Parts: sequence; structure tokens; C-alpha cells
Amino acid sequence: MCGEKQYYLRNVIGEYMTQLGEKQKKIVIVNADLAGTCRNRDFVERFPERAFNVGIAEQNMVSFAAGLAHEGFIPFVFSMAPFISMRACEQCRTDVAYANMNVRMIAPYAGCSGGISGATHWGIEDCAIMSSMPNMTVLEPCDPIQAIKMMEKTLDYDGPIYLRSGVEPVNAIYDETYHYEIGKASIVSDGNDGAFICSGITVQYAVQAAIQIARRYGKTIRVVDMHTIKPIDRQAIIDAARTAHIVVAQDHSKIGGLGQQVAEVLVSESLQVKFANLGIDKFVAMAHAPYLYHLFGYDAEGLEKEMVKLLQADTTVHWDVGR
Amino acid sequence: MVSTIKELEKAALEIRKNLLKLCSIQSIHIGGDLSVADVMTVLWQYQMKYDPSDIHAEERDRFVLSKGHASAVTSFNQAMIGCFDADDVIKEYATDGGRFSMHSCNLVNPYVEVSTGSLGHGFPIACGIAAGLKLKGNFQSRVYVVMGDGEQSEGSIWEAAMNAVHYKLGNLIAIVDLNGLEADGPISELTGLGDIAQKYRAFGWSVQECDGNNIAELKAQFDRLPAPTSETPTVLICHTVKGKGVSFMENQTKWHAGKLTQEQYESAVSELTREFQNKWGID
Repeated sequence: MCGEKQYYLRNVIGEYMTQLGEKQKKIVIVNADLAGTCRNRDFVERFPERAFNVGIAEQNMVSFAAGLAHEGFIPFVFSMAPFISMRACEQCRTDVAYANMNVRMIAPYAGCSGGISGATHWGIEDCAIMSSMPNMTVLEPCDPIQAIKMMEKTLDYDGPIYLRSGVEPVNAIYDETYHYEIGKASIVSDGNDGAFICSGITVQYAVQAAIQIARRYGKTIRVVDMHTIKPIDRQAIIDAARTAHIVVAQDHSKIGGLGQQVAEVLVSESLQVKFANLGIDKFVAMAHAPYLYHLFGYDAEGLEKEMVKLLQADTTVHWDVGR
Repeated sequence: MVSTIKELEKAALEIRKNLLKLCSIQSIHIGGDLSVADVMTVLWQYQMKYDPSDIHAEERDRFVLSKGHASAVTSFNQAMIGCFDADDVIKEYATDGGRFSMHSCNLVNPYVEVSTGSLGHGFPIACGIAAGLKLKGNFQSRVYVVMGDGEQSEGSIWEAAMNAVHYKLGNLIAIVDLNGLEADGPISELTGLGDIAQKYRAFGWSVQECDGNNIAELKAQFDRLPAPTSETPTVLICHTVKGKGVSFMENQTKWHAGKLTQEQYESAVSELTREFQNKWGID
């Protein structure tokens, strides 16, 4: 776990399209001038007749894909998270979700991973927007193995899928034996004193934070990888609540993202926990993603700090500090 | 199939009478229903390959109502080819649990190929369908998409217009119901469309134009459509009159949508019937 090697998920996902295309002839790609950015050029070259590029026209890209899905194809549309979720928002909602079409929207540049491109290229509202659409499934992989298995699962899945991913490099979390299921959270590491519930890039930060907390304070923190933002795995949240301390972190706006969806489950299940929701709450100027993750407080250091704060605020927890 | 001009004009009269009956019960988008009534009659009752008993048949023509608010005129035409009874539409239109939505919805009406309502969506979806047909090797079906003229203001229309030419979607037939009025008034007083035919031509479309309230002209236009194997999409620009056939409704912005009084209903129906009889005599 957590090898040194780093991976770019958009490369993993985009390049994997060729293999998916070999397996399933119904797969087509609709690009909007970002085939290179989304790394699916191999598919375009391999299957030129199954690749469309509508130019810089995201609305048309999504509607066009809905039309292809209507004829039985499984279209994968590719663009940056903000452009799919906002520029083509109504097309995603009305042409894809309302019609319950098997369109897969593949959206790199999730969160503020687009860093120095600035907020125009950040997808910080996409989970809120896409999760609110009936029929829509929302996914976010955290590592290359998971990303590939997730893409595999989209083949037999009925209904539309929005799959967001950051463009910052990530560590490997899982190995080949990893079993992936849409809607079933993965427990990366177990723990009883608290739980991080994360998706995407924050999973690796949670793993690092949990290691630090164990080392420094002797507390075991569970890391829950909530790769399926919607439909959310309620049982994994109920189980995590037994630790009484939950920190949710997502590279997304605090509002409408993973944090609030976890909170909704906690409240509706009458589960009392110390709770923190880490995410984005303001526009800031462009900067590199790691700088922004630190600024917004959901890098490894931020996660550790927040969990320790929750643990320390709880007088029932016995502290054995200073190891 | 209805094929003589007289039969088609009679069919269009029946569609209008049904629309007016519905409009005497509740408010509908009557202006745009009436303007496009002749186009829809010729399309559904003469032109399109569509078997209501086999609605998923691969060889069927696909119909997309991009101006989704013209759902009533569509539903009545579907009734005329045997999808259901016209009385069902009158009873169930825009009612709780009814099959006929104010904007075409296939959750309740399986004969609706694509749910629509928000403008500027149906056209690009139709492009995707047309591309899908070609990719599947279906070179016999056409995709017909009916748009409003106000809808031409949507940017997505022109994204699709470029795209259809690029992908050589000759199996796509776009129809523009050019009645000149939108909800807020004359298009020319909002943001004028300019020369719409010239615009489509400039985008690379094959353009046909006719009086969209003239059944004989419409039939002739449909008869001369290029084969679905053509490589150029066709747009049929139909010059129509909003509220066509009912003199107090014609070219009146306020009749974009509305409900008829009993008196208005009776006067409208007798005017339409009289017009038909003047032309064709009493059956």
C-alpha cells in the first residue's frame, strides 16, 4: 500500500478506454476538443468510427451522446469536471438523467486539482450538482487499480454515471486482488478511535494522517474510501460512526459534497458523533493543487489536525500523548 | 396511411378540432400547436415510417419534438395512427397520473421517443440518434426533428447545426416551424433571426422552404427529401401562422398559450369546418 510510484488517473482512465472498447463494441466516445487532455486519443486512433469530436461544444457533446445512447450505444463523454457539470448541466440532467440513458461522463479536473489553471477549471460543485439529479450515479476513484475496476463496472451498469477524478498524481492504494463494487465503500485501513471518510485524492492523505495519528497518539483511525458518492454506502457510515469521531474530506465545496451526504446519513440514523467536514468554502487565486489542499485544510496535515481536534474535544477519550 | 390532399386536409381539420376541444377544457400551447398542425399531420399520417404495434422496430423513423410544448398536436397525431384514442388525450392531458404531459414525456407515453420541453435539446439529441443509426448500419431510417423558430435563439441549436453537417447526417430532417411569434412577442422585436434559410445554407445544410400551412406543398416537400443515405442534412423551413385556422387567434402573441371559452370554442370549430367545406364541399 502507498507505494512511492505516482499515477495520473486521467492517463489511467483515458488510456484504458481502448481496452474497454475492445471488450464492448457498443462503447463510443464523444469528445469536445479535450481528447488529448482527457488522454483518450488511443481509442480515437484505434476506433475512429466510434469516436466523435463535436468541438468546443459541451452541451452538444452531452445531448449528442444521449442520442447515441438512445440507439443502444454506451457513450463515454470526456471533458473537464466544471464544463460537464456546469456548462452542460441541463443536458446532463434532462437529456441523460431524466431519460435514464447509459451515458458515462468522465470528468477529470475534479476539485481544485486544476490548480494553476484557476477556478474556471476547478470542478468544485460537480458532486453537488450531479448528485442532486435523480438516476445519476456519482463516482470518484482514488488510485489506478480502483479507477480501472470502476471503469470495468460501468460496462454492465444500468443508468447514467458521472465519474470525476483529480489531475494531481496519486499513490497506489490497492493491489490487483482488490475487489470493487459500485456503491460499496472500501475500508483501506481499520481503526476504532475515529474514521476518515474520503474520496479521490483525500484517501491517500487520510492514510498518511492515520499513520501519523497512530504513531504520535496511539489512536487507530479507520480510513473509509467512499468512491461512490451516490448512491452512498450508508452501512459503511453507520459502522464508522461507532468510532464516534468522523472527519470527512473531499476535494469539493463543503456544501453538497461528500461531507454533507455523510452528515445526512448520520442525522437520519440518529447517530451522535464528533464530526468535521473538510472542503472548499471560497474562491481563491490560482495556485498549485498541493498548496490549495493545504490552504483548504484537507491535505494529510489538515486531516490529522482535524481528527486530533475531535479526539481531544472528547473527554471520554483517554489521551496517551507524547509517544 | 393518408395520402390524398383532401384526406390530409381532413386529417388536419380533425387534429385542429381535437386541439380546440382540449383547449376548451384547459390551457394548452394552442398557438404553436395550430401553426405546426399541418406539418405534423403530413409527417405523422403520411410521411413517417412508424408502426404503433412495434415501437422499437429498428427500421422505424425516429421523431424528436424539439419544441416539446407542441405535445398536444403530437399526441393527437399519434392517436390518429392508432397509438391510443384521441379521447384519451383529451381526458388525460396534463392530469395527475395522465399519459400526456404538457411537454412530451416518455415516462408516461411510450410513443414519445425522447422527452423534451427545455428548448435547444431535441435537435442535438436527434443528431446523436442520426449518427447512431449510421454507426449501426441502419441506412433506411430517418430522424425527424421539429423545432420552433424562437428556439433558434438557443446556442445549442447552432452547435448541433454545425455538427450535423460535419458528421454528414443526411438521414436527419430538421423542420423549423417559422411562425414568427414567441412567448414575449414577435421574434423580430426580440432578437431577430435574420435570414434563417441563409444561415442554415451557410452551415452547409440542404434547405427546403415552403408554406407550412399548405398541405399540398408540405407533401411535395416531403416527397422530394433526399434518401437517408444522403450525406447532407436537410432543413425544411415551414412558413406558418401562429394560431393558424382560427381568425381571432392568428398572429396573436396572447394565444401562445391559453384556454377557450365555450363560445370561442364553438366559433373556432365552425370557422374551421366552414373553411374546409368551402374548399372541398360537404361530405
